[in-house]
Amino acid sequence: MYNPISLIGKKYIITGASSGIGKATSLLLSRLGATLILLDLNEKGLLETAEMCENTTIVLSVDLLDTKELKTKIVSIVSESGKVNGFVHLAGRPYLSPLKSLNENVLLDVLKLNSIAGLELAKICSHKSVFSGESGAFVFISSVYGCVGSAANVGYAMSKSALHGVTKSLAIELAPKGIRVNCVAPGFVKTNMLESISGSFNSDYDELLNKLHPLGLGEAADVANAIAFLVSDMGKWITGSILNVDGGFTAQ
Amino acid sequence: MEDFLEKMAELFEEDTVQLTDIIVDFDAWDSLTSLSIIAYVGEEFQKTISAAQIVEAETIGGLYELIKNS
Repeated sequence: MYNPISLIGKKYIITGASSGIGKATSLLLSRLGATLILLDLNEKGLLETAEMCENTTIVLSVDLLDTKELKTKIVSIVSESGKVNGFVHLAGRPYLSPLKSLNENVLLDVLKLNSIAGLELAKICSHKSVFSGESGAFVFISSVYGCVGSAANVGYAMSKSALHGVTKSLAIELAPKGIRVNCVAPGFVKTNMLESISGSFNSDYDELLNKLHPLGLGEAADVANAIAFLVSDMGKWITGSILNVDGGFTAQ
Repeated sequence: MEDFLEKMAELFEEDTVQLTDIIVDFDAWDSLTSLSIIAYVGEEFQKTISAAQIVEAETIGGLYELIKNS
């Protein structure tokens, strides 16, 4: 049967795979036939995700802030199990802080995880010892707050909007290698990360969030669907794009 | 305690603050200052407090007690 979104024979690294959108993306890509290397600091969560995946998965517990360890572990796994077609960088952390309480050390950690780790992954996965050489697809995960402003989110916005520049620059740089580079900018989806943020606000916050999304809050699977499209050959002429998957948040 | 008072003075945009000062009476009191306090408490004390708890604490001293007992 004709299935242009099939990922049979493809292999991707998924960071942040232990929960939320990372978990949903892992389940979907696996269901579509991809072999996955699931990467996160939370090994227990990774094993839970791996158990739910329908296809072959390899679990790799690693601290994404340690770029040396990241490279060593990925190169080692790839030499044993075969090269990859690309990655989806879903690992990330929020940083809710107004300007006056911005902490430089926390900000640097947010940048390292949300932006720089993605760049390191791109460096590792575009190397000929790791990249399979065909159907290359890298996907970064930004946020509506990489596109539009929000009070008390300056550090997070900085880390996410950085990925927009990274996406466009790498799309040009890696096109000769046959690697497409895209970015998904989700709105608010129902995940544990959202719950931890909304706890800092009063009860009106949930109502406000709903109003910001004409289609309502999203599900993790809504973002996973967009990612599957971008990594699959259905997106083979798409590179350097920032895809808003936000229920209309940024349409207003 | 000294560091805490110094930080509160910075967040409330005052030269100094006293333990008896009423939180909502500061000119700089608003929802962003509330979020700043939440962020500071999380980073400095690894504790989670809510916006409502800050208001309930009433004074700078009350806020200090809240953090200590959270």
